[in-house]
Amino acid sequence: MAQSIIRLEIVTPGGVVYSENVDHAVIPTANGKIDILQHHAPLIDRLEPADVKVVKDGQVNYLAVGGGFIEVYAEKICIITDQAILVDDDDDQEIEAAIKRAEKALEDGKSSNFDEEQLQLLEASAKFEQARKLAKGKAR
Amino acid sequence: MSNTRDIRNRIKGVKSTRQITRAMQMVATSKMKKAQDEAKTGRPYALILADIIVSIADEFEEITQSYFVQKPIKHRGILVIGTDKGLCGALNGNLFRKLNDVENSAKFIAVGKRASQFLSRTKMDLLADFSLPDKPTFSDVRKIVDFLLRSYDEGSIDTIEILYTSFINTLRQEPELMRLLPLNDLDTMTQKMHKRFGEPEHQAPKDNREILFEDRDAVLADLAGLYLKQEIFQLVLESQASEHSARMVAMKTATDNASNLIDDLTLQFNRARQAAITQEILEISASSFSK
Repeated sequence: MAQSIIRLEIVTPGGVVYSENVDHAVIPTANGKIDILQHHAPLIDRLEPADVKVVKDGQVNYLAVGGGFIEVYAEKICIITDQAILVDDDDDQEIEAAIKRAEKALEDGKSSNFDEEQLQLLEASAKFEQARKLAKGKAR
Repeated sequence: MSNTRDIRNRIKGVKSTRQITRAMQMVATSKMKKAQDEAKTGRPYALILADIIVSIADEFEEITQSYFVQKPIKHRGILVIGTDKGLCGALNGNLFRKLNDVENSAKFIAVGKRASQFLSRTKMDLLADFSLPDKPTFSDVRKIVDFLLRSYDEGSIDTIEILYTSFINTLRQEPELMRLLPLNDLDTMTQKMHKRFGEPEHQAPKDNREILFEDRDAVLADLAGLYLKQEIFQLVLESQASEHSARMVAMKTATDNASNLIDDLTLQFNRARQAAITQEILEISASSFSK
């Protein structure tokens, strides 16, 4: 397995976040985490907000992703999500602060009556921040 | 003598106007670039999203989800993306001319002050009007999409269409009316999307993809919502790029006109001044002769 053969693309509305040939990747889906190697059967599933483990040239990297969809076909993994971030660039304090911010926003949202979807949105961002922390913890 | 002063005042006035129009031209240029760049970054997302919708829809024998089925059209729902400010040439005029041949039963949702003004003035059925900030974000568009989907669910509109100004190049923007919902013809939808982005046409692979979720109807509804949001966001950005480029061209013309006017006025001023001097010399010499 020296060669990198499966393509991983992570795309958000703000642009392509990650696009590399990787050995394999572990993706958090609605049906649990699945490890995708080359020649994987085509599939479509929902993406859960958590961490994506990417193995490239034997090196392990973690990405935090928000909710979205994943599609696998023709040796390609496409992930579309509202947000994604490579955790290497983050530092811990910033993540902690982001979690606090997200949770506070969620609290505030619950006490003042925001509409349902706004709350869901806040919840999603809080989950995303948690995923960042988790992914960062694993990266060490 | 008062003539030269008048002309000088006018030159001053036109000069300051030129300064303003030139500044507006510069601002519009940079805003146009930003809006264009932003519209481009969302494209890969839109393409993959469309691809996923097509693949899931392919799996179905028959789609019953209401966003994908054509209903009898009683009221078309048209989202009109106008601008907030004027001074952008014929942009809004061209846009609204497109509405002339739309039947009266249609209902409208306006974005931008100009659009809501026009629609209420022409007494069309205006359901709601929204305004977007200068730099709209994904979540700004969400409230519009929520409203559209709610009206669609309630049955007060039977289609969701969007009238926007497509950006062809800096000098050309054309109004365009596009159907977004129902998604009953997915192939043409993806084709159009590829064409609009200038991406090569790619045939969606017809393999039997495993679909790992149970509640397909709900997922399809989610996807349709996402698609609508993404599309409207993209088209809003594109309309803004068009608006800014139209304003840029309009302001460039205004600046050029002001320059021409200044040239003419300067000539006139010099002539008047020269005439006044000649007149004075004549008077002086005439008076010295008469002595």
